[in-house]
Amino acid sequence: MKSYIFSFLVLIICNAYAFAMSDEEQGLKIAKDAYDSTRGYVDSTSEQIMILIDPNGNEVIREISGKNFENMDPNDGDKSLIFFNTPKDVEGTVMLSHTHVNDDDDQWLYLPALGRVKRISSSNKSGAFMGSEISFEDFSGLDYRKYDWKYLGEENYENEMCFKLESYPKYKNSGYTKRIGLTDQLLRARKIEYYDRKGDLLKTIYFEDHKLYNESIWFADTFRVVNHQNDNITIYKWKNRLLNIGLNEKDFEKSSLNRLTD
Amino acid sequence: MKKISAKRIYLYLIFYLILNSSPIHALDYKAYGFIQPETSVFFNGKGRHGQKNTNLSIFGKGTFISYLQNDDAKFSINILGRYDENDSELRYLDFQKLKYEYFFNELEFKIGNDIIFWGVNETFNIVDIINQSNLAEDLAGTKKLGQTMASLSYSHDYGKFDMYLMSNFQERLFSGGNGRPRLVMEIDKNTVTYESSAKDKKLDFAIRYSTVLDDLDIGLSHFYGNNRAPELKANSSTLKFDPFYSIVSQTGLDIQSTKGSWLYKLESISAKNGSERYFSAAGGIEYTFYGIQNTQSDLGIIIEYIFDDRSNSPLNNDGVIGLRWNKNDIKSTTFLAGLLIDMHGNSTRLQSEFEQRIADDLKLFVDFSINGNINQADFGYQFKEDSKMTVKIAKYF
Repeated sequence: MKSYIFSFLVLIICNAYAFAMSDEEQGLKIAKDAYDSTRGYVDSTSEQIMILIDPNGNEVIREISGKNFENMDPNDGDKSLIFFNTPKDVEGTVMLSHTHVNDDDDQWLYLPALGRVKRISSSNKSGAFMGSEISFEDFSGLDYRKYDWKYLGEENYENEMCFKLESYPKYKNSGYTKRIGLTDQLLRARKIEYYDRKGDLLKTIYFEDHKLYNESIWFADTFRVVNHQNDNITIYKWKNRLLNIGLNEKDFEKSSLNRLTD
Repeated sequence: MKKISAKRIYLYLIFYLILNSSPIHALDYKAYGFIQPETSVFFNGKGRHGQKNTNLSIFGKGTFISYLQNDDAKFSINILGRYDENDSELRYLDFQKLKYEYFFNELEFKIGNDIIFWGVNETFNIVDIINQSNLAEDLAGTKKLGQTMASLSYSHDYGKFDMYLMSNFQERLFSGGNGRPRLVMEIDKNTVTYESSAKDKKLDFAIRYSTVLDDLDIGLSHFYGNNRAPELKANSSTLKFDPFYSIVSQTGLDIQSTKGSWLYKLESISAKNGSERYFSAAGGIEYTFYGIQNTQSDLGIIIEYIFDDRSNSPLNNDGVIGLRWNKNDIKSTTFLAGLLIDMHGNSTRLQSEFEQRIADDLKLFVDFSINGNINQADFGYQFKEDSKMTVKIAKYF
């Protein structure tokens, strides 16, 4: 009975998306609905652990904590604070970002040894984040506004029917030319393959440990990033994620960095 | 003696503030630091004052932070110190930070020692004036001593105002007789004189306005107080320098424009020191190539230039061309090299810093400071034989 209802729902959803739309419109619609389902978090705090694994199996661990503030402006991006905790030589370093949809972000770095806040160039959104296989660009990889979309059909993934979507970055400094991803019936991204600037397959991000927050928003608490060119793996985990806890937007300004930093 | 009594006052203050601001059981703190043995080798044998051609040193830093009252207040200690084999002036402890801060809506109040950095340049930080420079650590003046202050800040949508009242002036720290590099004559610490009759008890005052307008970061500042840079008067009987601290009134402007991979920077000051008025401007550009040669490496190019209308200033027509290579690997490998060029006398000096993490809690640093052509009339002539390599290993805890 249960599976019958589920199949029926799938049928309805698929039909809704298929109804008189081009592949581009349908891709955009799915991506937008998926993105919209992650909105309304207002603000969040979390602890994050990164496990960097090289092809020989050597592991190093990096710990950071983060704060995010949702930007309700439909044409602009969210604000974030990243606190670096380990490795110990970067402890106390803080990065403030005001993200923008298809433009460079505004970023400031607080350097505790110098007591200095530096405005930094953010044109390297595609660069390695702390020596990992994930880039800053990937953290906002589900923002539909950053890509052009195309619906490629359905594909079975881990015994679930998923929407297969191709996307092309609009941002001129993107590190990618194309992505192919699978989004499940609950509109959760399950995996995305990334193609580099030369058009070669670079890496796959597997979105795992999906958890329903505040009874309304699904977040993947693990990103498993497999680089197919250098065989490195990065496992990025979120812990103690809290949403809508009443952070002050003023904390996400350059002028307030001294309040939150060592 | 006076420093010890100042420290005692601090300690009373700390205990008072901690005991009164938070129950001890709720004390939420973090503490971390590092200890760093260093060794230097000089390439030109003994120094011109007979200093040794090798040096051992140990440097350390400790940080303690406690966030109090639901993050509405913060207590911080940041203490650093060094024990140097040869230079007695490099055996010191300094409270970089020893402060209590209280935040209330758009207001911030602070009392204690702190390091305040103003400016945008990589090399020529002419606007930065709050903290005394420790020239024994670094001739470029980038290493600072903690400054005792009370400050009040107010931030609003249109920017932030910071007001500082400073006391407990610290004299500039120069290398001692066995230090290397050192000035041609030693500093006579017993003959320090001041323009101000209050001497080192003078209260200094500063105000700064800073704001962000899209891609522009702008700061406008004014400082009135004991000049951090003394005038060094050669004493013909002691054959030492007698430092004289005049009162300076300095207005500064710093602007950075961040446009994609380009950073444009400008700092400018107009100052009146004693009876002398002068103007200085310094600025430059920085451009970064990201992901060079299809790797994760970044290569940044930095060019800065400084002008000063005082002909006797060591940096009055000087430039620097720098390269910064960032491998973006797990070991955070970086290499920074800068060629300083005195356009006046065609003197050059090359400085480089390499760093790499060699374990989760160990980091290796290899620094070079190499003199090129040094003109006899140039300020740097007295450091002509002081080309060196320094290797440091920091152990973090």
